Amino acid sequence: MALLDIKNLSKSFGDLEVLKDVNISVEKGEVVVVIGPSGSGKSTMLRCVNLLEQPTGGEIFYQGEDIVKCGKEVTQYRKHVGMVFQRFNLFPLKTVLDNVMFAPTKLNKLAKEEAKEKAIQLLNKVGLGNKILSYPSELSGGQQQRVAIARALAMEPDILLFDEPTSALDPQLVGDVLEVMKQLAKEGMTMVVVTHEMGFAKEVADRVIFMDGGYVVEEDTPHAIFSAPKDDRTKAFLARVLK
Amino acid sequence: MEFHFKRAFETLGPSLLDGVGVVIYVTLVGFSLSLIVALLLALGRLSKIKPLVRILSIFIEIIRGTPLLVQFFYIYYVVQIFINGISDMLGFETHMQIQAVTAGIIGFAINYGCYISEVIRSAIVAIDPGQREAGLALGFSEKQVMLYFIIPAALRNSIPVFGNYLVMMVKDTSLLAMITVQELLLRTKTYASQTFLTVESYTILALMYLVISLPLSKLCTIIERRLKQSK
Repeated sequence: MALLDIKNLSKSFGDLEVLKDVNISVEKGEVVVVIGPSGSGKSTMLRCVNLLEQPTGGEIFYQGEDIVKCGKEVTQYRKHVGMVFQRFNLFPLKTVLDNVMFAPTKLNKLAKEEAKEKAIQLLNKVGLGNKILSYPSELSGGQQQRVAIARALAMEPDILLFDEPTSALDPQLVGDVLEVMKQLAKEGMTMVVVTHEMGFAKEVADRVIFMDGGYVVEEDTPHAIFSAPKDDRTKAFLARVLK
Repeated sequence: MEFHFKRAFETLGPSLLDGVGVVIYVTLVGFSLSLIVALLLALGRLSKIKPLVRILSIFIEIIRGTPLLVQFFYIYYVVQIFINGISDMLGFETHMQIQAVTAGIIGFAINYGCYISEVIRSAIVAIDPGQREAGLALGFSEKQVMLYFIIPAALRNSIPVFGNYLVMMVKDTSLLAMITVQELLLRTKTYASQTFLTVESYTILALMYLVISLPLSKLCTIIERRLKQSK
């Protein structure tokens, strides 16, 4: 059974159909990278997965259970699904440490000491062990994004969603964030990554999905997608971004 | 023309100090209550319950469209007539007599609550929607997101405006003289009419307000600067 199974997902904003018929399945431990032009529905798809957007139609099975109709259980479900945003969205009034340990203490009723220990461990892992008492505004974009990753990891999610995690960063700061993501992939984290970083897709992805116009146009191993794309739209897109 | 500032100061001064106590008491209690009223009104107006939003909007319009002084009169003189009348109709004998200071505090809480609620409401709306999404994505409920992330940030961003309202409230306590609260203006007026030291009395009164409000606004500026630096 796939960890995550998206079936016939559709999403409209008023008359605008952003997702038409999306089918994606993610196995445990798999790293799936989603690429595609702006407006292809990648981010909306990701936001539907943890119900930040309510799908208009279709089902999303998480461990075999349809979560689209889960009602009040949605907060329980979201605890298992971490999300990393393009614009980090750290809590500005909380220190880096509090950003990471707040959710586990409040939602998982973890003891403060334990949560703190774990948070420091995670912050060390993303290379920010020396910044735990800083505030987000004192950090660079790349550092903030690594805190955001640690914050998501602190809830011990089964799957991590990345919504263009490096798009808001200065080019020289992208590397550190990708490095952390590679490390997570190596450790067997299940990840769905929407990104424009083709290098990352090639190197880390188990599977690459190309979306366009609200559909999954093509999906395959990175090698197959990048060296021998089948669909014309995939070819056109890759020709543009890889030139 | 001959002035007797020394005499006026020696006899009016102690009485005014008592008045300062009243002003500080009314302002502290009134302002704290007005913040609570403001937060509740702001949250009510942001709720999804349409009738509630409508009722609160009308209420705020009524309060903002009438003078604070009239509201004090209304609370002090009119409300108790209503309450006593209604309880008479229900068969109770009540002779509720609201205290002037209490009427003042209630008036401030409601009036300033309405103005400040608009400040808080727009501060809440101005918070980056990414904050809400980050909270939800971690597994917090909408209510928890509001409580833990949105409201604290919105209140913090509103602090400079709160400061302005606090200074305004100190000065507005002079309106309470009209509903018999023994604050600074009423004490001065009584003294001036007894002694005919008109110039001296009202000059001392004005200085008294400055002594309270200048340091207070200075303090607000300092806090505002601190907040900006730590952002």
